[in-house]
Amino acid sequence: MKNVLTAVAATLALNVIATDVPVSGNVQMRCLITTDIPGVYGNPLPQKLSTAVADGGVLPVVRYDITLADSYKAKITTPTSFSSSPALIDTVTWTGSTAVAQTSDAGMSGYEAAKVTYDATTEYDLTVAGSTWFSATLSATNGYDKAFPGGVYSAVLVAECIAK
Amino acid sequence: MNNSGVTILICVAFFIAGLVLTVDAKAHEMTPTYPKFESSFISGIQKTKMRLFNRRSDVSYYEIGVFDSEWEPVPFVTTYKIMKMDYLETVSFDLYINTKDLSNSTYICSKSKLIKSDVISTGIASRICSKIK
Repeated sequence: MKNVLTAVAATLALNVIATDVPVSGNVQMRCLITTDIPGVYGNPLPQKLSTAVADGGVLPVVRYDITLADSYKAKITTPTSFSSSPALIDTVTWTGSTAVAQTSDAGMSGYEAAKVTYDATTEYDLTVAGSTWFSATLSATNGYDKAFPGGVYSAVLVAECIAK
Repeated sequence: MNNSGVTILICVAFFIAGLVLTVDAKAHEMTPTYPKFESSFISGIQKTKMRLFNRRSDVSYYEIGVFDSEWEPVPFVTTYKIMKMDYLETVSFDLYINTKDLSNSTYICSKSKLIKSDVISTGIASRICSKIK
């Protein structure tokens, strides 16, 4: 009986047909901008809004994914005006700085030292394929010791990826 | 470690896994990086095909622009200059440029358009530019 069962099992095994299922894909060279954290202004002083963690804010974080090395530049421009706010009667002083927060490749360690800053814009040459996270510290200070009027304040940071 | 300790550990692991899986990534993508132009059905007009992908749930509109090397606008034609795109939608569009303007054209850009009332505290506008070589 045992022999019969073994023979049947062997016959069934021979009838199993293996089929290769091809899975294909195409990675196109591209730049992907991801807004990981939009950022929040803290209000440490009546006349100051700041995204710095020490000021109770949240830093905006943008991720750039590059699939082709040395083909793109990242340009990050910090805001110099509010996109919406209550009516302001005094001059607002804006400051902003951008920094590399995290990288996916050790070869990106030189990005911060090689960055170029002009006006409110910081440029990075993305010479290595992979992901880079940039964070921005933004602050807005109202006139001399004048409190911001109550209301909702918002500003827009611009993240650009330019093909070289 | 007793049974309740193990249960708590498993719950914490599931909570962290849930947080990681529910992170809402918001991305903007445009391809190709280096578009190639070809003759269109109208003489003197060149065309290329671009592809936009909207993975930004906070953005529904993208503006298309063509610029020269000094970032001055160059005339072009697309079906819409501002495209309405749903979340996770991909749109392929033809872009037409006059042959005499093509030699001055350097960048084809798409920029996310944020709705003023949607921006809370700090918003992030993204712009991706392909280069005409």
